[in-house]
Amino acid sequence: VIRSGLAALLVALLLGPAAAGAGAKDVHRERLPNGFTVIVRENPLAPVVAVSLLVAMGTRWERPETAGLSNFVHAVMVKGTMRRTGAEIAETVAALGGKMSASGDVDYSEVRGTALARFWRELLGLTAELALEPRLAPKDVDDERDYVLSRVQRRADNPAARAFDELYRALYGAHPYALPTLGTLDALKRFDHAAVGAHYRAFYRPDRMVLAVSGQVASAEVLAEASRLFGGMPAAASTRDPAIASPVARGARIVVEQAAQQAQILVGALAPPMDHPDHAPVKVLATVLGGGMAGRLFAELRDRRGLAYTATAYYDPVREPGALVLYLGTAPDNAERAEQALAGEVARIRDERVGADDLARAKGYLLGRYTMDRRTNERQAWSLAFYDLMGVGTGYPEQYRRAVDAVTAADVERVARRYLDTPTTVIVRPPVR
Amino acid sequence: MRVRPSGATVVGFALALAALVAIGGCATARGGSPGSVPAPTRAVLPNGVVVITQEHRASDVVALELWVRAGGRDEAPDEGGLSHFLEHMLFKGTATRPPGSIDRMIEGVGGTSNAFTSYDYTHYDIVVPAGEVRAGIELLADIAVNASFPQSELDRERQVLFEEIGLLQDDPEKYLVRRLYEVAYGDHPYGRPLLPSREQITSLTRERLAAYYRKHYVAPNMTLVVIGAVAPDRVRALVDQTFGRLPRAPAGRPRVAVAPPFGAPPRADVRRPEKQAYLALGWMTTPISGEDLFAVDLLTYILGDSPSSRLNQAVRERERLVYAIESGYGAWEKGGLVTVTARLEPQHLDAAERAILDVIRRVKAEGVTEAERQRAIVTAESSYAFDIETAEGLAKSYGQAESIWSLDQELAYLARLRQVTAAQIQAAARRYFADDNYARVRFVPESAR
Repeated sequence: VIRSGLAALLVALLLGPAAAGAGAKDVHRERLPNGFTVIVRENPLAPVVAVSLLVAMGTRWERPETAGLSNFVHAVMVKGTMRRTGAEIAETVAALGGKMSASGDVDYSEVRGTALARFWRELLGLTAELALEPRLAPKDVDDERDYVLSRVQRRADNPAARAFDELYRALYGAHPYALPTLGTLDALKRFDHAAVGAHYRAFYRPDRMVLAVSGQVASAEVLAEASRLFGGMPAAASTRDPAIASPVARGARIVVEQAAQQAQILVGALAPPMDHPDHAPVKVLATVLGGGMAGRLFAELRDRRGLAYTATAYYDPVREPGALVLYLGTAPDNAERAEQALAGEVARIRDERVGADDLARAKGYLLGRYTMDRRTNERQAWSLAFYDLMGVGTGYPEQYRRAVDAVTAADVERVARRYLDTPTTVIVRPPVR
Repeated sequence: MRVRPSGATVVGFALALAALVAIGGCATARGGSPGSVPAPTRAVLPNGVVVITQEHRASDVVALELWVRAGGRDEAPDEGGLSHFLEHMLFKGTATRPPGSIDRMIEGVGGTSNAFTSYDYTHYDIVVPAGEVRAGIELLADIAVNASFPQSELDRERQVLFEEIGLLQDDPEKYLVRRLYEVAYGDHPYGRPLLPSREQITSLTRERLAAYYRKHYVAPNMTLVVIGAVAPDRVRALVDQTFGRLPRAPAGRPRVAVAPPFGAPPRADVRRPEKQAYLALGWMTTPISGEDLFAVDLLTYILGDSPSSRLNQAVRERERLVYAIESGYGAWEKGGLVTVTARLEPQHLDAAERAILDVIRRVKAEGVTEAERQRAIVTAESSYAFDIETAEGLAKSYGQAESIWSLDQELAYLARLRQVTAAQIQAAARRYFADDNYARVRFVPESAR
């Protein structure tokens, strides 16, 4: 399912954001003189290593005519460097027992890789090569465009993905979060070699980049190697991203017809950004509603009423205003009742204060998932880099935990009333016969 | 390769996949653990329950998995999908646990639960904080034999299963592999749908479900895997008090023959609403116990399990006939199918199929390179190494190995893989990959042709 743009984030963070390192003592952070940030977490458990290189570049900085450009640049980046062809890169990565990929997201773009720990130096070198010496050849731009266009078509063919795209478009209006991270057919057709190169050069600057490495490695060695690889990037005059006008909730009901077995029903509302004091209460609110199999949507709409197979809610941490989304996939015959039931759950959480058991279950689930989600090196590397790039600091996980712990039933009631005031509904369903 | 489920596409919200049917590449096998984790221990209780434990202190959680040797292959022809229906019902309640209480208990402590039905087995997985290990083991022992199947819950779950059918059919990549299995295995039990039909969902009675449960959910069919921040001695004591008290019972499992080679090439074309086409090809190879397992596994990897693979480089990158392509090896107890799946434009269906066959013919004629063999082996090593990161990663591979293979073979897997030569890989390609006798399923857009 899912919006591919927000997708990585959405899938990964459905369960709450990942925390930073196991303990501060295992994590070393260094800012190089050119502004490039390196973070290393030593984790002796398994003989593996993961690298996440995040760049402040993504949908947030795009417009309708450049929608998908950040992701597209990354799709082309992995097709060749000044030293290697795409096939050679693929072979090199495979020989490390590794995987590498690159993509754009809403608040960042990422080059990520994993390998057996004994190859950490090669993995880091390849990450730097992809990031700093991409070939961005005209032929690769043209070839890759077809593949990305095919993915846009695949999303349009998928009713759930389609529903998410429609919802974000309606919720965010003129705000860039309305744009699909993969881009649109119109925008993609216009991206040429020059646009790709210009976009890359505008954003790949050391002060916009954070590299995080987690695994069976020695911090000092990794810091030295990262400094050697990335320290030579010329420092650029620091730029501040201009503020974006906040989206305004309008509330709408949108119905789209598309042939499928299931109907998709989404109810969404604008919610606070991740650094807002209401972030933790809204996380708890989303979890009461649709976190896990004891969440209200699953328990009430699926288990008790059999009105859906998928029944969930999520709220991702993002830099700009987030989205609180309730989601059901159901048989077309059930769609009307399911929509009413979903509206009923929205009314209930606004009108009835959540009970102590429900609240405790939601917090337990939220924090439990938060811990579980941070166990792999891949997730660790990503989350260390993500929190750093978002500017919330290495203490964020602990602050977040405390904030969730402190949420009261009155807080949940207050944020439910505030943010679920004028929700938008999107329904994608097969044509009525 | 066999050790990785093919197609790592995320196809649903993790939370909602309470009853995902695992298919399309059997899951992880494993080699000697090179990390700082002690080796697993295996014990057989007097009543036949197998217990596998391993201390894993990377985080303060414990993975508990109950594997039952009962799955799609154990159903009578008129019982299709019963294993899966049962799987849905097990977390619904027992004599002492009312509906809903199991989910609330697990999630209230920050844990998760999930369950999967496949051809050879069904498994029930939970991950909870290590301090909850007793509660977790008691829960699994309870649902293993005391599920109560409340009639009202059963009736409601019918609707959920209807929804699951719709969800599967709306997901072309997943449905493609499922259809390929049905087409390739034909009348063999692996060819039956793992999801019950709409008629079976409607007509299933509580008595029939309970009878199937009592017959198959018996001690000798069960394996309990406990991996996490818990001392094995403590686990053993808890298991003796719970699973150790389950009654002795005969394991009577229906005999299933190894899937035979294809007669006529099995084929199916399906009209679909999507604008893109999907192609799946399948070759019957060796079950998990076969000597050629290791060579076929490496061959599958070399063919199509990474961006550097032959199919990716030839059919996607050079000939540009597909948008995505990959291969997978589902090695089960009674059959092993190697699959090649692709997403493409409908006008390229024929050319892509020919190109895939060309790639395979070349491997048969010229063999594979030493560099390819090395990359395949290092990838397998890496895949095991990454499984060490989480308790449930290890639990799954042990549970699966014990259910359809053996834990010892699992632990020796990587060493065995390293012994396979390039000549053996070529020989396996020649033995199993007929030029014209393969299974094929195509999803063709309704708008095409």
